[in-house]
Amino acid sequence: MISYSYLKCKDLAQAYDLLDKEEQVYPLAGGTDLLVGMRGGKFTAKLVVDIKELAELKILEENDQGIVIGAAVTLNEIATFKPILDHALVLAEGAHSVGSYPIRNRATLAGNICNASPAADTAAPLFTLNAIVKITGSKGKRTVPINEFFIGPGKNALHKGELVESVLIPRPYPKGAGTYMKASRTGSVDLATVGVAIQRWDDQVQVAVGAVAATPVRAISVEKAINENGEKDFAKAASLARNDISPITDLRGSREYRYHMAEVLIRRGIEKVMEV
Amino acid sequence: MSEKIAINFTVNGDNESRDVEVGQTLMKFIRDDLHLTGTKSGCEIGECGACTVILDGKPVNSCLVLAVELDGKELVTIEGLTKNGELDRIQKAFIDHAAFQCGYCTPGMIMSARALLERTPEPTDEDINEALSGNLCRCGAYQEIREAVKSASKK
Amino acid sequence: MAELKTVGTSVQRKDAIEKVTGSAQFIEDRYMGPMLYAKMKKSTVAHGIIKKIDLKKAQAHPGVKAILTGKDYPNKIGLYLIDRDFLAVEKVRYWGEPVAVVAAVTEKAAAEAVELIEVEYEELPGVFDPRESMKPNAPVIHEDLGNYEIVPIFYPKPGTNIANHFKLRKGDIDKGFAEADLVIEKEYYVPQMQHVPIETHKAAVQWGHDGKLTVWSTAQSPNVVRQLLAKSFDIPMHKIRVISSYIGGGFGCKAGASVEGLVIPLAKMFPGYIVRIIFNREEDMQGTFTRQALFSKLKTGVRKDGRITALQYEMIWDGGAYTEYGVNIVRAAGYSSTGAYDIPNVKTDSYCVYTNNSIGGPVRGFGMCEMQWGIERQIEEIAKQLDMDPLEVRMINGMKKGSTTAAGQVVQDVDYHKCLKTVADQIGWGKKEGKYRGKGIAGLVKCPAQPSNAASSAIIRINEDGTAHVMIGATEMGQGMLTAISQIASEALNIPVDKIDIKVPDTDFTPYEWQSVGSRITYTCGTSVKRAAEDALGQIYLIASDLLETPQEDLTFDGKKVYSTKDPGIKATIREIADSCKKCTGEGIAGPIIGRGSFVPTNMTNLDPETGQGNPGLFYCFGATGVEVEVDPETGVIKILQLAAAIDAGQAVNPQLCISQLHGGTIMGLSTALYEEVKFDKGIMLNRNFTDYKISSIDNTPHIDSFIIETPETNGPYGARGIGEQPMIAVAPAVANAVCDALGIEFNTFPLTPERVWKAIKDSK
Repeated sequence: MISYSYLKCKDLAQAYDLLDKEEQVYPLAGGTDLLVGMRGGKFTAKLVVDIKELAELKILEENDQGIVIGAAVTLNEIATFKPILDHALVLAEGAHSVGSYPIRNRATLAGNICNASPAADTAAPLFTLNAIVKITGSKGKRTVPINEFFIGPGKNALHKGELVESVLIPRPYPKGAGTYMKASRTGSVDLATVGVAIQRWDDQVQVAVGAVAATPVRAISVEKAINENGEKDFAKAASLARNDISPITDLRGSREYRYHMAEVLIRRGIEKVMEV
Repeated sequence: MSEKIAINFTVNGDNESRDVEVGQTLMKFIRDDLHLTGTKSGCEIGECGACTVILDGKPVNSCLVLAVELDGKELVTIEGLTKNGELDRIQKAFIDHAAFQCGYCTPGMIMSARALLERTPEPTDEDINEALSGNLCRCGAYQEIREAVKSASKK
Repeated sequence: MAELKTVGTSVQRKDAIEKVTGSAQFIEDRYMGPMLYAKMKKSTVAHGIIKKIDLKKAQAHPGVKAILTGKDYPNKIGLYLIDRDFLAVEKVRYWGEPVAVVAAVTEKAAAEAVELIEVEYEELPGVFDPRESMKPNAPVIHEDLGNYEIVPIFYPKPGTNIANHFKLRKGDIDKGFAEADLVIEKEYYVPQMQHVPIETHKAAVQWGHDGKLTVWSTAQSPNVVRQLLAKSFDIPMHKIRVISSYIGGGFGCKAGASVEGLVIPLAKMFPGYIVRIIFNREEDMQGTFTRQALFSKLKTGVRKDGRITALQYEMIWDGGAYTEYGVNIVRAAGYSSTGAYDIPNVKTDSYCVYTNNSIGGPVRGFGMCEMQWGIERQIEEIAKQLDMDPLEVRMINGMKKGSTTAAGQVVQDVDYHKCLKTVADQIGWGKKEGKYRGKGIAGLVKCPAQPSNAASSAIIRINEDGTAHVMIGATEMGQGMLTAISQIASEALNIPVDKIDIKVPDTDFTPYEWQSVGSRITYTCGTSVKRAAEDALGQIYLIASDLLETPQEDLTFDGKKVYSTKDPGIKATIREIADSCKKCTGEGIAGPIIGRGSFVPTNMTNLDPETGQGNPGLFYCFGATGVEVEVDPETGVIKILQLAAAIDAGQAVNPQLCISQLHGGTIMGLSTALYEEVKFDKGIMLNRNFTDYKISSIDNTPHIDSFIIETPETNGPYGARGIGEQPMIAVAPAVANAVCDALGIEFNTFPLTPERVWKAIKDSK
């Protein structure tokens, strides 16, 4: 058993105060990455601050700005929230593909992105929805576009004393279908070998790919070919993804297979959202 | 020694108060402190599902929950399914279909299945697969488990 | 044979209620008394000399009671070859090998102390490929191999890394190849896999103040554990008691002795305390048996009509750092090296080779999955080159009654052809369903791999009320042994199965059973139980005859009473007979009824050291798997459209449990066919948890069509034979054969991961 202190926060201010003042302090929302990380020695906590029951972080609602997903909202809640199913199916699919059902009863979207794994299944969908991360901390609030939130493997844009308050799927919502496609070793509960999110915005598409670079990335070359150059051969467009990604070889797949699968899944995803 | 925190909770319908060590997982607490040994340890990282319990109505991996988080919550373990010596219908269905072999994953599997039947009284194969994909059974009783869950849903 | 009452019916599992209520006790569920907790310090190099172990800081850590190192263990341990250290002595031979063990008052204190132990190594060159390890200049891993004690049916080569060289020569191999119209030679590779039972290895040990040692263990084989511990620690056997609770899955990894000995010297230091060790998932994967990898070369000669005339098989097995058990897998694969086929001329060389990888050992199939992979793949190649139907090639060469195995043993009670035909019919063999779809069939055979005198025994106590206790030494790890064995007892005693109690073993109270391995328990333990029942029944008749003053031959027992067939009015209830029976005069007739039965094979022999000829098989179980797949040619993902499995159980003692075993083995086989491979980097096991090592889950497990074939086993109890391991064997080759049919691409290794299939498609273009 690992030794540390634990504090269940009364309000958000107490949470970011502690995050600011204490050393080796970690916020606990779902805990599914934190507990595994502490067991494996990836995190050495002196203090764990429990934020999961803070009312302001449990908000899951649609307002005039868009869909607000509080930091303590679980992935199962997200995957079944009607406005998300209606306007951001790509995110529902991404959230649904994380872990197993019991994991998704605990795991949160905020945790998934804060853990900053390049393979995070919710990240690529958020990229294609132009999601905005709302950050709060002792020095005030700020927002960061999702594509600036990921800095590197395990590294996010939070400063000391900050935490993610919510993620916003902003209006206007995309017009058109979205889909998340995942290659994995077993097709079951597994981390992504490659994860591809495709979102159609009218006659345009946005494409993001996970597990193929140090962070999830937008496949800009693919998007440009279709959106700006009017490429109708989606296979050809998808093959341009090579310019946007730089996968590595690990236990889940080789660099070559990842290049290939990114291309295949991007093409299939585009075909699906374009109803080819 | 580690810091201890007082918590109040209900377990299988009974109110309880305990002092728990920070850092102890709910799985360890259930087994070592509550002595409810039906909940099993298999991987400690939420991959095998042997430690699945129902917390506030939802199935969770108790190895990925801290014991202190139990405060104010309602916990149901496999021991809580049997009422006055009468087996729950899902337990009966597991027996009828021989939906287990070694029995080690069985409590977690049954808790996941029980929770599924609560939220989806008549699950399809796909619902069952989704609900139980986080519960590994190395003996390979999956086909029997699917049949058991389906038959329990019909009653 | 008289009509069966209980055998052949699907009675409810004996362990059912306990298991669905969570009340079934596994080792870790026992709360036993004052405890100490043990944790291991493990090697950080794969091959090296231990220069120094500094325990000072760790010893000073609060809560630490004792720390031991290799010198504290007097002897090595091993089942067939005594080569294994409990803790490394002087040198380490694999990454993660335990070098010290700490006992502390809490698990946490023990774990913290382990971190404070400082070990200095002088790293030695490691060898991680058994083909390299066989070479004359390879670094020698066991310098003392020549001095190790070994069962004299194994042939190590001291001074090298070869722990066993099994040779088999049947017929005339040159003549066989000369008769052939076609000769095919291919290389195959099967990687290591892990059993990953959901319950890891665990043991708790107590050294009593009276010098009695009690061991609670996840062991599949408590009697062998007792025997090996007695030898290794020089303790008389009556002073060791081994208790197996329910076991949360075994699949071979809990066979022999495993973790128990590690904590015995600690327990001896603290009499009365229970010292417990629990392997976590990572330790379990890296520090217990893995399936040995196999590099093989297989050459077959075949006539134009499809008849195989010659087979030459070279198998090089990665035995890992210790091969105490692995040497016998290599032998079993050698003497079975024609698979399910009758081949007249055979030359086999099977080598067990030390490497600095994790310890190799038994896994469901005991070498047959690995060895028959090559055979079942090569038959496809033969069929292709002869333009024949691969099913027909199997039918032409498949063993039937009177065929001889590679070892020259004549097989009886065989209907392999029916197994093949059953799965073929089920999957619609011969009908091509479309592009990227394909069908494949593979067959299998396996006999238990056990010493020729591996014994078994049983005691049946008839209670005063006519109920019974069956006492046996077999373990229940999910296979349903308790249920099947009580059905055999019920059948023989004519007492209903719900009036029979049966429990998991405790060597102080239950009689000897060699090991619960090799799919042998139904046969061996079942035979013992049947004999014990017959013995008890004999006593019942003897007593009744005296009581009723009626000749035994006129009496019959219906489970409740014994009565005269000539005059049903002459009768005595089982209560009257079993409760220290007395005459009406008050004179006692007989005391409590205790039936005894034992079994030792009489049909097995040693094998000739040069030719491997003899009778190694207690019985042979045949089966087949049929698969239809659809391959996504872009992603390499294989979808299983149909999966059919047939196994010849002789007589299904409990059809529902037979199907359970058939499903379980097939799913495990499918999991290895598609996903499982232990990956090493210079001996470091990379994928040692369930995030990195994936196994089948419910959502990727297809429906299985299962068939129990029943060709009675003449000497098996009620015609039954064991089927626990067998269903796994043919799955990987059947899947590969189907993928090959779909794509026209050969696979000489598995798992057939999406990436591997994709790469093969790409490379074929």
